[in-house]
Amino acid sequence: MELVLRNAKIADPRSSHHRQMVDLHIQDDAIRAIDVDLPVKNGQEWDLDGAWVSPGWVDVGAWVPDPGYEQREDFASAARAAARGGFTDVLVLPNTEPVLDGKAAVQYVRSAEPAQPVAFHPIGAVTRGCQGTDITEMMDMEQAGAVAFSDGLQSIQHSGMLYRALLYVKAFHGLVINAPLDESLAGTGLMHEGVVSTSLGLRGIPDIAESLMVQRDINLLAYTNSRLHLADISKAASLPLIREAKARGLRLTCSVSVHHLQHTDEQVRGFDTNYKLTPPLGTDGDREALRKALLDGTIDLVTSQHRPWEEDHKKLEFPFAAEGVTGLETAFGQLMHSLGDRLDASWLAMNLAHKPREIFGLKPVSLEAGQPACLTCFSLQGKSRVEPGRQASKSANSPALGQELPGRILGVVHRGFWVRSSE
Amino acid sequence: MASAEDAQHLSTRHLLGIKYLNEADIRLIFDTAREFKEVINRPIKKVPSLRDITIANLFFESSTRTRISFELAEKRLSADVVNFSASSSSVSKGETLLDTVNNILSMKVDMVVMRHPAPGAHHFLARHIQANIVNAGDGTHEHPTQALLDAFSMQEVLGDLRGKHIAIFGDILHSRVALSNIFCLQKLGAKVKVCGPPTLIPKYIPSLGVEVSYDLQDTLRWCDVANVLRIQLERQEELRYFPSLREYARFFGIRKDLLDQLEKPILIMHPGPINRGVELTSDVADSDHSIILQQVENGVAIRMAVLYLLSALRPPSSSG
Repeated sequence: MELVLRNAKIADPRSSHHRQMVDLHIQDDAIRAIDVDLPVKNGQEWDLDGAWVSPGWVDVGAWVPDPGYEQREDFASAARAAARGGFTDVLVLPNTEPVLDGKAAVQYVRSAEPAQPVAFHPIGAVTRGCQGTDITEMMDMEQAGAVAFSDGLQSIQHSGMLYRALLYVKAFHGLVINAPLDESLAGTGLMHEGVVSTSLGLRGIPDIAESLMVQRDINLLAYTNSRLHLADISKAASLPLIREAKARGLRLTCSVSVHHLQHTDEQVRGFDTNYKLTPPLGTDGDREALRKALLDGTIDLVTSQHRPWEEDHKKLEFPFAAEGVTGLETAFGQLMHSLGDRLDASWLAMNLAHKPREIFGLKPVSLEAGQPACLTCFSLQGKSRVEPGRQASKSANSPALGQELPGRILGVVHRGFWVRSSE
Repeated sequence: MASAEDAQHLSTRHLLGIKYLNEADIRLIFDTAREFKEVINRPIKKVPSLRDITIANLFFESSTRTRISFELAEKRLSADVVNFSASSSSVSKGETLLDTVNNILSMKVDMVVMRHPAPGAHHFLARHIQANIVNAGDGTHEHPTQALLDAFSMQEVLGDLRGKHIAIFGDILHSRVALSNIFCLQKLGAKVKVCGPPTLIPKYIPSLGVEVSYDLQDTLRWCDVANVLRIQLERQEELRYFPSLREYARFFGIRKDLLDQLEKPILIMHPGPINRGVELTSDVADSDHSIILQQVENGVAIRMAVLYLLSALRPPSSSG
């Protein structure tokens, strides 16, 4: 492959070309040259017309249920969806069937879709079958390429289990991820407990179901002096605990989903199952606290929380519908919708490209000549319409369908392949 | 479109819940129910108002009195009636709700009366089908006709409910009757208080503008009407909400001696079926203060009124 990107504005605070308008010459999987007015090459040209080019973005927790539920998403469709959403790297949850809890499954993910500009990084299960009881062969999985360990969609309930996992991964400086939700408090809840749940007669999940678990996880982290990432923080009540733990120097990171940055429990009033999520959407106060915490660094990362489901699992009465919505293709637009006036291209490069690579130990990328070509092209201007029926994901469970979201993804270049989002 | 006649129409073509009605809707339903109550006390109880209209009663949860009350209301209005019952488990495992209902609607049904265990099930249907929908109870969300007949029955005895004190006793957490009652009574200007064990009262219930009490005797002294809900021990999940029916009866059951201590008589209501000796003792349920059987009678009139008023708002395509 040979490609010249014309008129690209570099978004990479770690590059000597940051904020410069340049051309990039890419050959195979590497950047050969970055300069103004590069000469014409044999290969193809792509004029970005002044749009931004950032190191490739990373999504740190998409659900790609392959193998098991390929009708919802497989790696081919997930790669197309990720590329259109501007992601060059995607960490995938272990909740497949069978569960991603051994070396063979790790290798399956790592070898997925070699001819796409998206690399998948497996998160291995902490417990066999994500059942919460028997610890998995984490060292073996780590050597095979697992980047972190988690029971994914299944929050680790047993304190002793999480304690043991946090200790065990210290042997290889590993990272444990937990999505904090105390099931004994969440019970049969269907949405956030509050004014809206009371009015709708839907059983509520109190915010302490999250914050109590956050506190437990932090205490276990402090006791084991290990590394922990809390996934999908959704309630304001969790944030002071995280802030305090970070101030104490604990090796704690956390993420928030674009859905929780954009929506609140008010959206559930019409019983629309595309607003049924885990953790449940919080109040306006939760949303604003999450936005602030992402900007001030209390929350480290933002995720697509991509949860594909076929229509049969969503076009149902609210209590019977599955939880989650897709996000890979719309994450950038949702982020821009939520925080567009408060973030810039440098922030996006740092928070979507550099920070996740640091936290999860992926190879660093930088926009310099001689470095691997791993990049995301985007514009903060304009809008893009989320066209129903024209999404790359196999699933269409998204409240964004039919809407216009601010900003545009132009495409990605990675691993010697490139994709323009409009194609 | 504005004409004098429009004042006689409901503001919505489905009865999904009391939340979605305005005060004028409720008063129109009451005025209409009053006329129908007079009708059903005549020697010939039937009117031809809904002739050629087919109503499907879909009960995905067991019900005796509500189903019979609707069926009677439909028959008194000369509607054609089909009944469908299924347990919720067979629905969640087998055919989807939408498939079931679409199958029935293919047989040209104009209105659907449905009881379903899922809160919001009627909203879901309303997005996908044309027929008018009447909510006969959706899980822990609403039971609008029960609330209408409750408020109607209170009005018959007390007159205008503005400023009246209505207390709802029992399991507020799991109760669609409580929620619909709260919305209805507030729209009519009454003050509402809920009373029961703290584990059965939702934390955010004050956000609906109701007061909360855990003290039975205090609340009895405060209220003009005691609407007492059925306590179901079988509804309890893995962790119990209260230890035993015995303890509940002792501390939250309404007994004759408690009523005798009050300075003024209060009305006793219950949506049925009563657990005698638990939430109400028999001498209270059968006393002069109790209007439980009037509630049942008014239920038919209220449901006739709702069906009649909604039938006027049928989409033109469904009348085939």
